[in-house]
Amino acid sequence: MSQVRRHGMTLIGLLLLAAGTAAAQTGTGTLAVRVTDAANQRPVEAARVFIVGTQLGGQTSTDGRISIRFVPTGEQVIRILRVGYTEQTKKVAIAATQTATLDVALTAAAINLAAVVTTATGEQRRVEIGNATANIDAAKVVEAAPVGNLSDLLNSRAPGVTVTSGTQTGTGSRIRIRGMNSVSLSNEPIWIIDGIRMNSSNANFGTVTGNGGGTGGNNASRVGDLNPEEIENIEIVKGPSAATLYGTDAANGVILVTTKKGRAGAARWNSYVEQGALTDRNTYPTAFTTWGKRPGETVSTRGFCNLQRVGTGECAADSSSSLNIFNEKDLTPLGTGNRNQYGLQVSGGSDVSRYFMAGETETEVGVMKLPEFERLRMDSTGIPIRSWTDRPNAMTRNSLRMNLNSALNSKLDVALNSNFINLVQRYSLESNATAGLGSQVFGGPGTRNNGTVSGVGTNLNGYRAWTPGYTWAEKTSQEINRFIWSAQANWRPLSWMANRATVGNDWTGRNDENLLLRGEGPPLTATTRLGSRGLNRTNTNNVTVDLGSTSNYAFFGLNHKTTVGAQYIGFKATGSQTGSQQLAPGSQSVTSGTQLTVGEGTTIQKTFGVFVEQAVNFRDRLFVTGAVRSDQNSAFGTNFQRVYYPKGSVSYLISQEDWWKAPSFVNTFRLRYAYGISGVQPGPNDALKFYTANTTTVGATDQPTITQAALGNLDLKPERSGEHEVGFETQMFDSRFSFDFTYYSKITQDALISAVLPPSYGSVASQLKNLGSVKNAGVEISVNAQLVQRNAFGWDVNISTAANDNKVVSLGNTPAQTGIPTRIIAGYPLSSYWERPITGWQDKNGDGLITYFADATKNEVFVGDSVIFRGYATPRYTTTGVSGMDFLNKKLRLVTMWDWRSGNIWYNNTERIRCTRPNCAGRMDLKATLQDQAMNIAANEHPARTLDGYLQPGAFVRLREASLQYTFAPSVASKLIHARSLAFVLTARNLRLWTNYRGTDPESGFNTTGGGETPQEFQTVGPPSYFIARFNVGF
Amino acid sequence: MHTTNQTPRIRRSLSLRASRMLLAGVLLTGCQAANDRFLNVVDPDIINADQVNNAESALALANGVVGTFKGATGGGESSWMFGGLLADEWSTSSTFIQNDETDQRRIQLINSSVTGMLRTLYRTRTRADEAIVALKQYAPTSRAVISEMFLARGFSEMQLALDFCNGIPIGVTNLTPPDNGMPKSNVEVFRLAGASVDSAIAYANGTDAQSVLMNRSARVVRARIALALNDYTTAGTLVTGLPTAFNYTHTFSLSTSTNTLWGQALSSRRYSLGDSLEGNAKNILVANAIPFASSRDPRLGTIVYPVSGAINGQDGLTYARTTNIWGQLTPVDVVNGVDARMIEAEVALKNGQVSTWLGIHNALRAAPPKLGDITPAAMPALVDPGTDAGRVNLQFREKAFWTFGRGQRLGDMRRLINQYARTEATVFPQGVHYKGGTYGPDVNLPVTQPEENNPNFKGCTDRKP
Repeated sequence: MSQVRRHGMTLIGLLLLAAGTAAAQTGTGTLAVRVTDAANQRPVEAARVFIVGTQLGGQTSTDGRISIRFVPTGEQVIRILRVGYTEQTKKVAIAATQTATLDVALTAAAINLAAVVTTATGEQRRVEIGNATANIDAAKVVEAAPVGNLSDLLNSRAPGVTVTSGTQTGTGSRIRIRGMNSVSLSNEPIWIIDGIRMNSSNANFGTVTGNGGGTGGNNASRVGDLNPEEIENIEIVKGPSAATLYGTDAANGVILVTTKKGRAGAARWNSYVEQGALTDRNTYPTAFTTWGKRPGETVSTRGFCNLQRVGTGECAADSSSSLNIFNEKDLTPLGTGNRNQYGLQVSGGSDVSRYFMAGETETEVGVMKLPEFERLRMDSTGIPIRSWTDRPNAMTRNSLRMNLNSALNSKLDVALNSNFINLVQRYSLESNATAGLGSQVFGGPGTRNNGTVSGVGTNLNGYRAWTPGYTWAEKTSQEINRFIWSAQANWRPLSWMANRATVGNDWTGRNDENLLLRGEGPPLTATTRLGSRGLNRTNTNNVTVDLGSTSNYAFFGLNHKTTVGAQYIGFKATGSQTGSQQLAPGSQSVTSGTQLTVGEGTTIQKTFGVFVEQAVNFRDRLFVTGAVRSDQNSAFGTNFQRVYYPKGSVSYLISQEDWWKAPSFVNTFRLRYAYGISGVQPGPNDALKFYTANTTTVGATDQPTITQAALGNLDLKPERSGEHEVGFETQMFDSRFSFDFTYYSKITQDALISAVLPPSYGSVASQLKNLGSVKNAGVEISVNAQLVQRNAFGWDVNISTAANDNKVVSLGNTPAQTGIPTRIIAGYPLSSYWERPITGWQDKNGDGLITYFADATKNEVFVGDSVIFRGYATPRYTTTGVSGMDFLNKKLRLVTMWDWRSGNIWYNNTERIRCTRPNCAGRMDLKATLQDQAMNIAANEHPARTLDGYLQPGAFVRLREASLQYTFAPSVASKLIHARSLAFVLTARNLRLWTNYRGTDPESGFNTTGGGETPQEFQTVGPPSYFIARFNVGF
Repeated sequence: MHTTNQTPRIRRSLSLRASRMLLAGVLLTGCQAANDRFLNVVDPDIINADQVNNAESALALANGVVGTFKGATGGGESSWMFGGLLADEWSTSSTFIQNDETDQRRIQLINSSVTGMLRTLYRTRTRADEAIVALKQYAPTSRAVISEMFLARGFSEMQLALDFCNGIPIGVTNLTPPDNGMPKSNVEVFRLAGASVDSAIAYANGTDAQSVLMNRSARVVRARIALALNDYTTAGTLVTGLPTAFNYTHTFSLSTSTNTLWGQALSSRRYSLGDSLEGNAKNILVANAIPFASSRDPRLGTIVYPVSGAINGQDGLTYARTTNIWGQLTPVDVVNGVDARMIEAEVALKNGQVSTWLGIHNALRAAPPKLGDITPAAMPALVDPGTDAGRVNLQFREKAFWTFGRGQRLGDMRRLINQYARTEATVFPQGVHYKGGTYGPDVNLPVTQPEENNPNFKGCTDRKP
């Protein structure tokens, strides 16, 4: 109580002080500003104009003008900022009731760095904050290199941000910022769009009767619902030192999305048309079968013989046969996919009200395609080929957006942002699903002649137990209807005070659906082909109320800014599931099934937080900020009421000092330091001991049951991650070269660990406890250089690199968490790979085979005695290089993006299971390399049964993106199609891969959206390559 | 003067300050309380512990125990099934390595399936205790239900001892925080199970049908425990007079759960009937294995082999052999009168009463009771093998067919070693395994790695039978 009282009194005191100081200002005038480009005198739109020391300001319209009223009289400092231009500061004398004019000519900067960033307390100059910021100019990216989803927009565009995308069309991605903080909770960042919390959940696809229980791996992501074309800008708040004021849940970072807004001026229409193709250019493993005879047999067969048995003499091998289904034109389940996208946007308005409206429709069909032999089979037998059987992976997205801004009067602005999204997508059951494609296509023998599908008698043609026509008879789809809206009001009752209020809601209606008609589908169980139908309908509601008040004032000769705020986040998801099996013939209705299943689920979570931030500006070169936020959350234990998150930062523009003596080529130099704490909340019911209800059959009747479902933890509190961040940035050579260095060290205390409970407790399997500690430290370096800047040729380069050192400091008093082949052990990286190492192999008897013998003198594969650390599960080191070249007076621009990731292992779980099918080379190919043989022998014959051989180097270099953009001269655009602007863009994505990884692709993960920390390849079709052509037309 | 003049002002100031502080305190407390209410969340999916406080709740808890218990028998992939894989009842035709390594008798401590089975057995025990407390408090007259709870607890303890290694941790249930149990030998766990089942017998003292059923069932289970403890006299006494035609079953419905013995075997074909000749060509000899499939014994119903060329096992490799004993909703006998007859027969054999022993078997064979969905045809009478060893072999073989798939075979194979001086090499499957490698040394299921979170547990005391 006393803390709360002191806290409140301090706030009140600060505000009164601010009011008293500023109240001396009386009388106002108007300032009219016109901003032009110094090079060509054209108006510069969207330039930010601020009256320094006040809350007054705004953005220029399309004609480069802005008028600011109620400017305090006297000499005022005006600051003008625009990305791509050098910041300017001007002094203007304001007279009461008079209009002062100011013409500003901005000089283009060689390096495009965002001058203003969005923070929890509002927009702020980049130089004033003590953190590194990552900013993605989304509008520019999608214009120059079309992207299909937000994953592509984020991927490799910010140091320290690692994105691993799903492989099927429409699937989500795994995003980690500065490593992994949490042992048992999500490590995904949170998303905020136009000031409100956005639902960004992954792994949320499921039906009650789906044969794989879902999709077998890659799932949808609610982030993927958003249309990248409508986004103006994305900022990534990387760690707790910057995310403190975003409160509980922000410890993994915050991704801030700002959508496009209207700009004053005549209506400007922008349209785009995009067409593209998807192809699978991966190399997939070949299946092998060993043919041979056991002693005494005369006919060579398959099934018994393998290299081990040949080596031990249990079998005399005749030959090996091989089959690579992906390379067989009639058998392959992969073809060419396609995508198209059509969009129209309009923006305009006046100084009083502005609008931005957008509409788009987009369709993408993935590379999975019914194989030719299946098409022939179904055609010849009269089996209808349904759309989802023909192309099981597809997505259609429609998006409508309307953003309105209005200055109701000179003191009150309001804004309304609204977005409706309709998304329909379907997936193939794929990786981790017995009924899925991967299990069949990677699991068959090295021959087409492997019999028939059980019970239905059609040829397997080398597939394991059934063929794609059966797997894809099941429709697995999801429809999303989503409405995101937010309303903002900015009220500036006084020139020194601004109050803001944001209210918004992200509502998602989700309908997961599966359908398998009676008589169709795989013979998975005795009842599978009797049909099934499942529906899972969920409504998700995320409400944000965000209030804040900021005051600027001078005190002791320094400029102060005090912000107080409060925030409420309310999350609620309600869902009901219904399904049935054994449908009536021809029926697609759940009501016709004889075996009905129903269920419901509700998740509710609420957070309320308040904060205060105090910023002090020393002579516009030293900026000191301190803040604290306090949160309450419905998920905290009853013994834990409130959490405090403090922060502090210093930004020192040291090159502004008179005593700064740097070489003349150094233009600016800034030092930064920040410290802050943030948290991640536990799940909604994790603190509670509770029971759940169900039913069971007792005797002849079904009876209600109650069983214990959770032990609870009354002391449960959020994880707290504290981060120190220090760095510097400099611009040199007329600002044509910039260098940004950041070091961070963050430690998560009270880490929530889902402590595995001994089975002998007879209770639940785990209990969430605040036990552990995880540390992340690393560096991030970003270099921008304008190497050549001429009309005929320009060349700019951006290189960003990041390294992360992750370590579990403590697991409290819980033992190590042991999996296969992952472990969580104090002193080592979170969810790292552990195995008994293969120390070597030797073909002692010279038979060309590696064989395990119990007799050590004969044994040919050697394995270490103990399980040891083998490596990180995800890349430690990431480097991205982007090269942009301009030709023909900047009409033609070629951009390539190169990605190098390393320092990790990628688990080739596909090869592991292939060896148990068995069809891998190491087990079945008489010509297999000794290394392949040793991998298999160590895993399947040696008593150690180590998977070490499948833990393979994950390093790679990828030509991730290449785009060629030709911008027609305005006169040509006008002449050709009466357009204001016209550009043509060719883009290719995932063009080439260089790696020592022995599987398909070291980014191919079946579980990237599953929330786990060990993404791995497991019977997974690799990522496709995209080739896209696009026209951008402006009117 | 100075002091006296100041005092009222100070008092007024203090009073004013106190009033303001009081007001602020009230406001803040009010805000805090309002905020607590504001952040309070009611989740309809859960039942809070304080709501379990009446007779109906107690009975619902008891129903929950039955549901859990079912998971340890025929309503889940239980140690009945994995015990059968480790023994010779089932062969693997699954893609799961957990199943394969169990069939190969080389079970890793990180076998997640075994962990699941272990948890189900322990949960049955813990939840039964919780229900017993609640029933005694809120529904004390439901003695047959209380008896069933004790039976569930004792049965799960017995199954633990039958299937798992020595060194099974047993703690006091339902403590907060939970009790870290001390490892106990199989014998100690059997004794614990015996005590639980004795309580079940004591509570089943009514004359109503359910009490009678519980009494009979508990006596059979208690007799099985006595047999495991080498106490043939007690075992024989307990089952004397019990009818052959009774059974205590776990039942299923389409709206709750279905028979997993059917689901995993006939439906999903992850389990194939065990045999002494394995491999699709039936050319891999498995020493010691009873030829369940190729014997064509009527007690296993119609044995279905896949059509040649059609891959039938879930693994896409194995020509799985299936049985129609159980259908999707067929009740599973947890205890039945045949179990009583098998105990009687073994006691008779132990006592040297060969004709009695043979008579019991031949009576059953002449008029086989219903097993699952099938009623086997009458079988020819058995002939006395003439030797003690032969009689023991025959006793255990007959029992294996009569009790197929019901979690008894692994315990009996261990008893053959412990009580009949056989060796692992003459009891358990031996030789080349059809999925690769050779059979390993395991003769029981291990208490798996998650139990290492119990500081008192340092692994199985031993893996002896």
